[in-house]
Amino acid sequence: MFAPMNTRPGYRSHLRPRTREGWIALVAFLLLFALAMPPVTHTVLDRVEPWILGMPFLYVALLTVYVALIGVLIWAYRRNV
Amino acid sequence: MEPWVIATGLIFVYLVATIVLGVVANRRMSVDMEDFLLYGRKAGFIVLYLTVVATFHSAFAFLGSGGFFYTHGVGFWMAGTWTVLVGAITYVLGTRIWALGKAFGYVTPADMLADFYESEAVRVMVAVVSVVFTILYIQVQAKGLGYIINIASGGRISLEVGTLVLLAVAGTYLVVGGLRAVYWTDVLQGVWMYVAVWVGALVLSYELFGGPLELWRAVAEQRPDLLSLPGPEGFFTPGMWLGMTVTLSFGIVFQPHMLIRYYTAVDAKTLRLLGATTPIYLMTLYIPAAMVGLGGALVIPGLEVPDTIFPELLFRYAPPLLTGVILAGATAAAMSTLDSILHANMTVLTRDVYQRYVAPDRSQAHYVRVGRAIVALLLVVGFFLSVKTFDFLVVLVTLSGAGALQLMPGIVGVCFPGGRTFTRAGVLAGVGVGLTVLYLTLVVVPHPMGLHGAIWGLLANAAVAVVVSVFTPGPSAETVRRVHGEIEEFVYGRSEG
Repeated sequence: MFAPMNTRPGYRSHLRPRTREGWIALVAFLLLFALAMPPVTHTVLDRVEPWILGMPFLYVALLTVYVALIGVLIWAYRRNV
Repeated sequence: MEPWVIATGLIFVYLVATIVLGVVANRRMSVDMEDFLLYGRKAGFIVLYLTVVATFHSAFAFLGSGGFFYTHGVGFWMAGTWTVLVGAITYVLGTRIWALGKAFGYVTPADMLADFYESEAVRVMVAVVSVVFTILYIQVQAKGLGYIINIASGGRISLEVGTLVLLAVAGTYLVVGGLRAVYWTDVLQGVWMYVAVWVGALVLSYELFGGPLELWRAVAEQRPDLLSLPGPEGFFTPGMWLGMTVTLSFGIVFQPHMLIRYYTAVDAKTLRLLGATTPIYLMTLYIPAAMVGLGGALVIPGLEVPDTIFPELLFRYAPPLLTGVILAGATAAAMSTLDSILHANMTVLTRDVYQRYVAPDRSQAHYVRVGRAIVALLLVVGFFLSVKTFDFLVVLVTLSGAGALQLMPGIVGVCFPGGRTFTRAGVLAGVGVGLTVLYLTLVVVPHPMGLHGAIWGLLANAAVAVVVSVFTPGPSAETVRRVHGEIEEFVYGRSEG
């Protein structure tokens, strides 16, 4: 007979966080990352105005999302997630 | 003194500095494979940080990114997505790879996959993918180096001679000092390239526009098409955006010169901090690149080769000394990637081919000597490829960025325990189909339906891997318990297998 994919010791999936901090980090990262991906980028963010601190909106909006994503990673590190 | 003398002289000063570092590294090296190939698994945060970022950012980031902004506009600021993703991958996946490497003595990516899937065929497949899809980067970086020195010397040093000199320097310090020399020179290179690109871009923006903010205003007035998506030539479509994000994050991390770096960390905490903070360097390097590319599009429109925009601006508008410092930074960007790829290919060929199949039971010193000989061989191949042009090379370079991405299902199967995992037949079939689809969707019919070919290849790979794994025998329960148990214990502090 076939030996299907799961004939092995049953570890709980590592794709799902097991702690509250883990869930917060995962959801925050995914939501923020979605803001830097289509369709958001090509619809909501795709404009020059309003200018922010002398720079076009698209540029500043993406920079803000990137900084927030790095913030999530650093938060996860500090919380030992 | 003429500008080309200053520029070329500074590049040679930089090259001498790298050789000195190689010699010093040699004095600290002990004759064993872990030290020569893996820095003795003792890389601390600063060294690891700078080697990872310097290796990740090649000549492309220094010269090519300016060219991308020049041609396609602000859409290339999407580069931030893959730099942040690289940090997250290091944080989540890199630490697991480190733990397995430390526990089971893995040296190459193939060691890890072959062990878990209990398959020599998997070892060979991973080794072949690792070498084939990165060896072409030796050619790309070598050509970049020859080009930089050719420009710096005002055409007085030919592309071939420049390539030869710079390959010889990189090969020398690698042979002399092993990965320790690569890491130490990467520290120098990582700092130099970052400072150089920022200083160069700021000086040019003030010289030409009165400052970065005035530069943005000028672009909005004269070339508003550069400030919207998908860009003047319609390049940054949603499908391309998604595909480049995945390819240039996972696709680069899964190349051997990046994966091997995870094995070398001194501890997991260092690697987690690395993951959390590398995007700061990686992402912010594209800020000055945007200034160079967008500003250059206004000042020198219609360049035949857009990648030359940075050196073109420097030679026309920057002081000679600064131009020399910055071109040495471009040299650093290319060399830091070149030496790492040379090292990774040497490691794979020594460990996965020579030690495994040719001469299994020889001394550590013997393998170190063989590794050095392989570097010399790779240099000859790299030089030959860089001065010749073959059609099949053009195809392989097109595929190379996404080639290593096909290892993703196999690596995820090893590093993420769960109720199910892939089998050796599933992984092999997935990679085979994935590479075939990649060829079709990148070369034959590029990017069908606007979706990057790498995504098509990965989707086909994953689907085949899942289906075949359902019907074929997986790794033994003992191996799964050993490997996944190690990860379970590493991540959650207990093994419940």
